[in-house]
Parts: sequence; C-alpha cells; structure tokens
Amino acid sequence: MSSTNQILSGVRILTFTTGYAGPYAGRLLAGYGAEVIKVESRKGGLDTFRHYGQHKDIDAAPRFIECNLGVRSLSVNLKHPTGARLVRELAGKADAILQNFRPRVLDKLGLGDDELRKINPKLVIVKLPGFGSEGPKSGYGTWGFNLTAFSGMTYLWNHPEQDRPIGSQGVYPDHLGFVLGPTLMVASLLRSRLTGQGVTIDLAQIEGTAYTLGATYLDAAVNGYDPLPQGNRDPRAAPHGCFRCRGEDRWCVISVRDDEEWRAFCRVVGSSELAGNARFADLEGRLKHAGELESITQQWTETRSAEEVMSSLQAAGVPAGVVQTGADLLKDPQLRHRNYFAAFADSLIGPFEIPRSGILFRGMAEKPLRLPNRFGADNEQILGEILGYDQATIEQWHREEVLT
Amino acid sequence: MNETTTALLPGFRVLDLTSSMGALCGKLLGDLGMDVIKVEPPGGDAARSEPPFAKGRTDPEGSLRFAYLNAGKRGITLDPTKAGGRKVLLDLIARSDIVLETFAPGYLAAHGLGYEAFLARRPDLILVSLSGFGQDGPYAHFKTTDIIGNAMGGLLYISGDPTMTPCNPPETQSYYYASLFAAYGALLALWQRESRGIGAWIDASIQASMALHEHVAFNYSAEGRVMKRAGSQHQHNAPANLFQCKNGWISLFVTQNHWPILLKVWEGHDPELDDPKWINSNLRRQHADYINAQVTSFTLRFLKEELAELLQEHGIPGLPVNSPSDFMNDPHIQARGFFAAVDHPALGSFSQAGSPFMVDGERPSPSPAPLLGQHNEEVFCAELGIGSNKLAALAAEGAI
Repeated sequence: MSSTNQILSGVRILTFTTGYAGPYAGRLLAGYGAEVIKVESRKGGLDTFRHYGQHKDIDAAPRFIECNLGVRSLSVNLKHPTGARLVRELAGKADAILQNFRPRVLDKLGLGDDELRKINPKLVIVKLPGFGSEGPKSGYGTWGFNLTAFSGMTYLWNHPEQDRPIGSQGVYPDHLGFVLGPTLMVASLLRSRLTGQGVTIDLAQIEGTAYTLGATYLDAAVNGYDPLPQGNRDPRAAPHGCFRCRGEDRWCVISVRDDEEWRAFCRVVGSSELAGNARFADLEGRLKHAGELESITQQWTETRSAEEVMSSLQAAGVPAGVVQTGADLLKDPQLRHRNYFAAFADSLIGPFEIPRSGILFRGMAEKPLRLPNRFGADNEQILGEILGYDQATIEQWHREEVLT
Repeated sequence: MNETTTALLPGFRVLDLTSSMGALCGKLLGDLGMDVIKVEPPGGDAARSEPPFAKGRTDPEGSLRFAYLNAGKRGITLDPTKAGGRKVLLDLIARSDIVLETFAPGYLAAHGLGYEAFLARRPDLILVSLSGFGQDGPYAHFKTTDIIGNAMGGLLYISGDPTMTPCNPPETQSYYYASLFAAYGALLALWQRESRGIGAWIDASIQASMALHEHVAFNYSAEGRVMKRAGSQHQHNAPANLFQCKNGWISLFVTQNHWPILLKVWEGHDPELDDPKWINSNLRRQHADYINAQVTSFTLRFLKEELAELLQEHGIPGLPVNSPSDFMNDPHIQARGFFAAVDHPALGSFSQAGSPFMVDGERPSPSPAPLLGQHNEEVFCAELGIGSNKLAALAAEGAI
C-alpha cells in the first residue's frame, strides 16, 4: 500500500516554544503531518532564536528556520485579555499544547492546564521545561549547555588524562528533549484518543538527559563511588578509539571487540608487531596493553587517509568510521542513499540542505518539508477558518495590538 | 503510585529482540506503560557481560548496564534460528503490536524471519529495525559500535579540546539517541495503525540520528562553515563556557537579555564592560577570550553551588559542573523523585533512575530488569499454552 509519511495529518497542536528543544519538537511533529501552530508575539513573546545571526529580519535567522520547518505562525499578544481569550478558544479546537516556557508563565496569563481543560477535556498538554514544573529549582533558568553540566555528563565527557573538565560545546540535552517531546506527545494523543481523557506530561529536560546516564548512576549507587571519565577507551574493546590520519585534523575511529575482529585487524594492518605477539593474543592482553596498541595503530593510520582506513577495515569486518565533518556529512553516500537531506532551493537565507529525521518508514513516500511560515502569516486563516471570525474583526485586532 | 494513571499506554505488547544498541527504545516503551518482553538468546543478551558491574560480579545478573537498560521489561530466552524457537517467536509475534530488533540488516530475513514472514502472522505489525546506517545502502553492511555512530554522524569531530583527540561522550549515546528516535517511530506507527489499520516497518539509523546534532550539517550547507572542536566554548555566545570556581567549575550561558543583569550582580567588574556595545552577543562571542578571562576573575570568588544560586536568584542561567553523585544527591532531583528504590531479585535494593516524565503529576515507578529467563514459564506456558513435554523438547533443542 502506498502512502505518505503524513501520519499525524488532522492533528492540531498549539505550541508556545522558544530556543532549540521546544521548537524542534514542533518541527518533528509537523514533519509527520501535524498542523503545528506556533503562538508568538512581538509584545515580549518572540522565540529567542529569531535574534540569532546577523539578519535584522526576524524570519531570516538560520537557527529559527532550522528549528521551525513546517510550522504555522500566529502572532497574538497573550498579555492582552482578548489575545488570551483567542488562545483559549483555539485550545477548544486543538488536540494538544506543547510548551517549554518556565513553569507558571502560561498559568499567569489565564492559560493554565485546568483553565484549558475546562474548555477541552481531551486536551493533551506536554511541557518541556529545563528543570520540570515542580521542585525547589523549577524556576531556574537553564539552557541545554547548563543541563549537560548539572547531570554529570560534562564531568564524564573527557579524556582521563585531562586536568580540567571540558565536556561539549553543544547542547545535547536539547537534542534529547526534541525527540522525547514528540514521542510523549504522540503517546499522550493516543491515550487521549483511547480513553477520551486529556493528560498533562511534565518532561523535565534535565531528566531526559539523566535518562541516558542511568547505568553510570547505578554504578555510583551500587558501588559507592563516582565513576570517572573514560574518554575514548572501552572496557570491552582494544584497540578502541580515535586515531589521527593523513591530512589536517583528519581522524578515524576503530573498535576491535573480539578475536575475530582482532585477526582481521592484524591482516589489514599487516604489521609483524601485532599478529604474532602473545601479549595481544586475547582481549585481556589487548586491554592490558591498550596504550601500546594505540600507538601502533596510530602509526598505521597516520600515513593513510581516514576514508582508506575505514574502507579497508570495514571490508575486513572491523568496525571503523571516519570522524566526519559537516562537509563530509553533506556528501556522505549513505545519507544520500537515505534521501536524508531536505533541499531548499530558495529561502530568506539562500539555498540550503538540512537533515530530515533519524528514521524512515519503509515503502512510504516522504512529503517535502516546508519553510516556516512568516511571523503572523497565518493569523487570518487560523482566526477566520478555525474560529470563524470575519476579516473586519481580525483587522481591528491588528490595530488594537491584540495580533502583533 | 497509581498504575492506571501513570501507565500511558497499557495493553500494548512489545517484543524486544535488541542488543544494548536498541535496549533504551524498549525501556522507553515500557516506561509508557507497554508490556515489553525482552527476548534473549539462551546464553543471555551480550549486554549482560557489559560493564559496569555490581561489586565486581561478572555473572549474568551482575551487569548494571543490563539492569538499567532493561528495567521494567519481562524476560524470556529464545533462539529464533532453531526451528522450534522460530515457531515460538512467530506465535509471540502474532500476539504483539511492536517488534524491536538490532540484528545486522538482512540477518532476520536470511533466517526466514523477515518483515514479510512477520506480516503473515500479524498483518498490522509494527517492526522497528535499528542499525548503524540503515537497512540498505552503501554502508548498510558496515559494523557499528557507539563511537562509530558518533564519528560518522558528526558529533565526535566537534567534541573536545581543539588541541586534543576528539572525545566520545559517556556511556553509548549514539545507541541511546537512535533508540529514542526509534521509539518516536514506533509511536507514530501506532497512531497510524489506530487510524488506518495498517502496520509499518521503521528503519532507524544511528548515523542519521546523530547527523542532525548541533547544526553541524546545516551550518556547512547554509553558511559554508565547518564546525570544529572548541573545548567548552559555545558557538554563538559568551560567556557560554565552563568557569573555574573555588571548588570546581560552573557552566554559564549568558545571552543578551542576561548580560546587563550579570553586570549588576558582578561587583567590581571592569568599567569597560559597561559599554553598551557588549550587550550584543555576537560581539561578546567574537571577543570570547577577553570576556571569559574577565568572567573567571569573578567566578573564582565563589563556591560553584553558591554562585549558581546567586545567579539563579537573578534569573541568570548558571549551574555547577556536577559529578554523577552530586547530581543524584541534589535536593531538587530528590524532591522530584527521579531516583527511586528498586528491589532487584539478584542484586538487592538500590536507587535507580526512573522515567524522565510525569503523567498528571505522578512519575511511573521504576522496576527491576528481568533475570535470565525469568518469565519463560509465564510467557511460554501460561500465555502461549505450551505444555511441559513441548517445553522440554524446546530446551533439548537449545531453543529456549
């Protein structure tokens, strides 16, 4: 049966989101067919990513475009009583709310959970706050960067020999939040559909981060110590790590897990130091002499291109991979085979290509992604067609700064 | 504690055939209230020999990695490559909504257990296949480990200090991240099934899941910019880095909204910083070395926890760089009940991380992972109705 991936078609979700995780969660729902209406206002309620970059045009920030593909835009001032009323009316015509504001911001505007569920008992509400909606630090301001540190991940994400923590320049917790958010959203929509009852989900991004360190916390809890950073070492493989290759800042990773992979590795490297060496005969020996093994491996890799290292080892059945840059990703034959990048020939920031999703539905056509609609571009259609207001009323609201 | 309220989707059954590569997907579906049955080979899942271990135990019940990634699942042993095992698996599939698997692409089909064979028994089945690169394509046959997923997906290249070797994140993040994407696929497919009565085959790729991280691909495509390792320095902001305190480090992320507030809190700062030009985040980022050195002279006056509290009182995002146990003991995390006591039949009682979400204000309570073959009798005899003679024959064949 042929079909498209617009699985959530017919589902309407209002989003109150800013930054990375919340908006991108909306984008991933829109990409699978949901009608995602992003509610913002120039009166203190613009997505902060509209200000990233050098553009003056609030629709032309690359970060904003990236995180809001496929999303519709309603500009309504929530601090105006009429604006808040319109959102309540829309909640009556929507299936779900997605928001990542600090706790109680929407409650103060008369848009709290109880208020909205009075209007729509089946409404699903998914919240993605940094520290959760309840608890002594729930009012804390957090970015993904800070959450990485708080969870223990920054402390763990280092080479053992470093004298200070480095962790990551990035915002890993946001990435976790924007996949967990849509997952919880669809689960809750399904529950609401099956039971006729709405549900509220409090998905703390800090706990989403900690969800990926559960084995480490168990280690700490059961064995009573703080686990140390492992860097690129793996207690079940050697050689295991990231090795310098020919060229500027080129690297290849290699994992040799068992004797079969070890023998294949030795064949490819072809070094007499390796194959016949009794110290390396089993995994225990290889782990014990991991340092020596790593230097020998690097001597072999640094005269070869990263691509050559990967392809010769993979051809022999040894796990290996190029440490790819952004430029490498765009020409990666496997990603191209998956039709991974959505291409936009023309946009406010010029042409670009952008990753679609980590998953494919086999046998289903993928509908092209759309650029975000311009700020406020959907006001007339949303208020007219969904809520039934006439043109004159909508124009008046624009003049009165209800819609702004 | 009320199961009916915290279990979002009870009544759905998942067969989890994954290695540790996909185990978090099944765990999340279990946290959503589904009945997840972990299917292990008769000798046990390979994850049972993956560290960390409880107090030096290396027996099949000693792996804490297995204990966490499979918490809340039921467990059976079954070898589907044996004739008897294959039949039992297909009988189970007939009673399941979702099947999760992480075999090398083509492996199941080669054993007569491909998507079509599954569909013959369960026409609306949702099959989730998770692999390093996808079910087909030039790299589909490549072997994968966690670090290979991070390398080929682009996260590794930008991780760490520019003067050092790129540094892999802790545990197996590329497995976990793809597992979460796979779970999203499973939920989408379940929604589709409720609407249209059809199943789906989801092809989750570790590489593709990682390659949307940190704008690495998009930055290059849209701006021609190759992101590089930058230590802890965020690409758009300053101060957005780790800063030394008296007793460790603090993570600060100060945007233009908070910069003027930081200056108010920061007694004795260099008057040069009061120049309104510094409100511009791009300018502060361009001069990050200068800004960071100035900010360090401030942060060094404080304990990391004390400074985080002071900054947060003013709404400025700052949090200490915690060790795992610092995090576990944090009063906020404790008050939210994220960690809860679990009684493990072989390892005793311990505190385990729970679901990362609350349902109407209540958190689903964590439960232990299954012992090897713990639910064989329950599933094979009580649910599939296999008699004791048949069961003995399956055991003799090495199928269970």
